[in-house]
Amino acid sequence: MAANPMQQFEVYRIGPEINLGSINLSFTNASLFMLISATAILILLFVGTKKKLLVPSKIQLITEMSYSFVAKMINDTAGSSAKPFFPFIFTLFMFVLFCNMVGMLPYSFTVTSHIIITFILAAIIFIGVTIIGFMKHGIKYLELFVPKGVPIALLPLIIIIEIISYLSRPISLSVRLFANMMAGHTMLKVFGGFVISLGLLGGWLPLGFSVALTGLEILVAFLQAYVFAILTCIYLNDALNLHH
Amino acid sequence: MKNLKEISARLEIAKKNIKKDLSTNKSSNAASLGKALKISTEFVAAVVVGSLLGFILDSWFDTRPWLTISFFFMGVAAGILNVIRSAKNMHKNIQK
Repeated sequence: MAANPMQQFEVYRIGPEINLGSINLSFTNASLFMLISATAILILLFVGTKKKLLVPSKIQLITEMSYSFVAKMINDTAGSSAKPFFPFIFTLFMFVLFCNMVGMLPYSFTVTSHIIITFILAAIIFIGVTIIGFMKHGIKYLELFVPKGVPIALLPLIIIIEIISYLSRPISLSVRLFANMMAGHTMLKVFGGFVISLGLLGGWLPLGFSVALTGLEILVAFLQAYVFAILTCIYLNDALNLHH
Repeated sequence: MKNLKEISARLEIAKKNIKKDLSTNKSSNAASLGKALKISTEFVAAVVVGSLLGFILDSWFDTRPWLTISFFFMGVAAGILNVIRSAKNMHKNIQK
């Protein structure tokens, strides 16, 4: 077993090396676990919607619950005008949730504990929301940076602050998910290491801790997926309705 | 059809129960933990973005320390703005 708690985050190549120009496109363990999560989602949704029973089976119930959960979330935070974006937010929520949950399995790899992956997700959302805002409101979208009722003398300062606040969205979105997942998994590994090094005599206390931490981590895994999706809805709401 | 009527009556009751559940569950523990985690990163991200922006502008205009310093403070202001805004959002959601 690895004693180094950071070793679990190592990305390594599986199969042959593929180079496209100077870009390394090899298949890694990160790609493998993303593929596993995506396949798991597809299987769940496929099996859950195959037999449409009036009294749903367990899998059908899970599928319907995840649907109504996301639909309700969008309706509550962004209103009915965000309905066309349901497929995107549902995909995002399920992908992050499954990546987090697959990472909770022993010997697996947590894709969302890498900042590049969470940052790309956040950057897609950020750029997409900005484009949607400009498409819907044109140049008036810039009014987002000019709050109402501010004295003209303060306006340049306020605009800069608002722009910083707007630019901080993708950073806070991606760092939150990445930091939570990485900290949790490192902690689990550290406590696991304590169990080994303290042996049969003193190892029971850290073992209890790691059981509790595993429960907490599952909660965090769900919560972070939820927060990621709900913030996307809030940003979408800002872009669509243009007032805080 | 007596059966169908019975089912629809039961459905109505079940729907009412769901609505009750949703309204009482709103401020559960898990949700508040998520909110707490959300606010902390909101503040830090704005400070980081502000300082970075100042640093980049500094190297453009060759005014090394000054823009970084002023943009750092503006980043702090933006962070506080972010926190207040998301707190307001939560407040609105609770009252709903």
